Amino acid sequence: MNGQAQADQADRRDHNGRHRAVRAVTTAVLRGGPAAAGLAAIGYGVHGLVGMRSATNPPNAAQWLVGGILVHDLLVVPVTMAVGLVLTRLVPAPFRAVLQGALLISGAVALASLPLWRGYGGPADNPSVNPLPYGRNLAIVLGLVWACATAVIAVRAVRAVRVRRARRSHASACGPPAG
Amino acid sequence: MTATYRAYMRPFIRLFTGRLREAPAVLRRGPLRTDAFSSRLHDPRVASLLGMWLGVAFGVCFLTGLVSHAMQHPPSWLVWPSRPVSLYRLTQGLHVTTGLACVPLLLAKLWTVYPRLWEWPPVRSVAHALERLSIVPLVAGAVFQLATGIANIAQWYRFRFFFTVTHYWVAWITIGALGVHIAAKLAVVRANVGRRRGERSRLTDRVSAPEQPGGGLSRRGLAVAVASAAGVIVTTTAGQWVPGLSGLDLLAPRRPDIGPQRLPVNRTAAAARVTAVARAAGYRLEVVGPRPFALTLAGLRGFPQHTSRLPITCVEGWAADATWHGLRLRDLLDAAGIPAEATVRVESLEAGGAYRTSEVNPAHARDPLTLLATGLNGADLDIDHGYPARLIAPNRPGVLQTKWVHRVVML
Repeated sequence: MNGQAQADQADRRDHNGRHRAVRAVTTAVLRGGPAAAGLAAIGYGVHGLVGMRSATNPPNAAQWLVGGILVHDLLVVPVTMAVGLVLTRLVPAPFRAVLQGALLISGAVALASLPLWRGYGGPADNPSVNPLPYGRNLAIVLGLVWACATAVIAVRAVRAVRVRRARRSHASACGPPAG
Repeated sequence: MTATYRAYMRPFIRLFTGRLREAPAVLRRGPLRTDAFSSRLHDPRVASLLGMWLGVAFGVCFLTGLVSHAMQHPPSWLVWPSRPVSLYRLTQGLHVTTGLACVPLLLAKLWTVYPRLWEWPPVRSVAHALERLSIVPLVAGAVFQLATGIANIAQWYRFRFFFTVTHYWVAWITIGALGVHIAAKLAVVRANVGRRRGERSRLTDRVSAPEQPGGGLSRRGLAVAVASAAGVIVTTTAGQWVPGLSGLDLLAPRRPDIGPQRLPVNRTAAAARVTAVARAAGYRLEVVGPRPFALTLAGLRGFPQHTSRLPITCVEGWAADATWHGLRLRDLLDAAGIPAEATVRVESLEAGGAYRTSEVNPAHARDPLTLLATGLNGADLDIDHGYPARLIAPNRPGVLQTKWVHRVVML
């Protein structure tokens, strides 16, 4: 290898090294920035939460914070899994997805309005808080959701029958020649 | 230079990323098994996309929440404008509606990553342990914010902390944990999202595998279901603040036209314990400034009357338009010789409570729409709307539209 080629290679190595260093710094800023800001925000939040204890009642707030994780991880998800398992056993393939989707929508809508249709909350002397017949309204909304789901299932069922028929007629038309 | 730097940093990097001794395999049972979770929705690309949507939604909630907080506890450098009239209606309506729409987003997102809760080995390195630990405030905060928010708009108080203060501080914890999470997962998102994600797949070992055939919900199906759920929630609740949509308002805690004089009430006269004192014949409105004076009920009617069409915009995310009539606040202030640049305090007949008084900065006090209203929708104010007189100003949270006003004081 001559001197010029060696110098070229050294140049390239140097360039690559610099390129990698720039990338490392960029990554560090891109990830380190949000991480540092995030940690600062967590610290600020904890400081405020603990600092205003007469309003935030830290032991009670902590119960609700931890309780949220536990209820989700040990109740909501296992129940969802159990429902999924039952559906797998009971409902055939092209319809199961529709049922799962409709259940997801129903569950989310019911959860987002839970205190209302359960009749929780609202002062007794103020009829303008939670004033609607929420049980009936939830039934209307979920009725529409399930009407849509039924329509999709019907379309899928018709399509499945058509495909089966087409296959059968195709099979008889191209069946083995007699004799 | 890079080489020496790296040599210098190596022990620290090793401390954080060096592999820890693996836990004994005999513990690997139940959900810790490799094949414990079979759903094809447990996928890094689905998790990344849902995470991005959720990140945007949480960002909207956080920023609009900060706006609401700053309005009620204004820092000295901030002058909140009185226009546009419905700015607060927009920010607070978005806050509550976006939060409600997060319910399906958050549940779906947590479903896609649930197996990570049971990953094996539980801890690979110090860095891995820290990253897993940062998930705790994120999930706890996210679930807490949605649950307490939903309970609060329905005025359902099963918790023993003050909602606004706790919701505010947990918001900082949650958004902070989200920042840490984004930093930790940036590589996974880059390797799984975007047209050129294939070129970035070496950034992480968590790369989306081609979808397996199956009869259950597909990844696309999940996206459709989550978007539909969010859509149904928004459609059936946004009518509590969006003009013209109140007919679709089926599952929101308020309806803009239900209440005394077709307007909702947040705090009744009975709850504020002002019924008797507000109806007392000896009522006087005192205006305290360089030329103080007091007005009887008849005196209030003798002042020049004006009409304003302004919404009540509640922190709980509902808003309702109404036609108010009464005295312009600035006319009262002028009569008392209160200068244009003065801030005033409006005081209620209530004996106590966090919202007994409110401060009105010059922008709101001098706005021609700002009234000390004595009438609503063509009749005298209902006692629950603040009879004999209440403040109504543009672009201001309802809790600061002080009711049962008996004193206006220059500060």
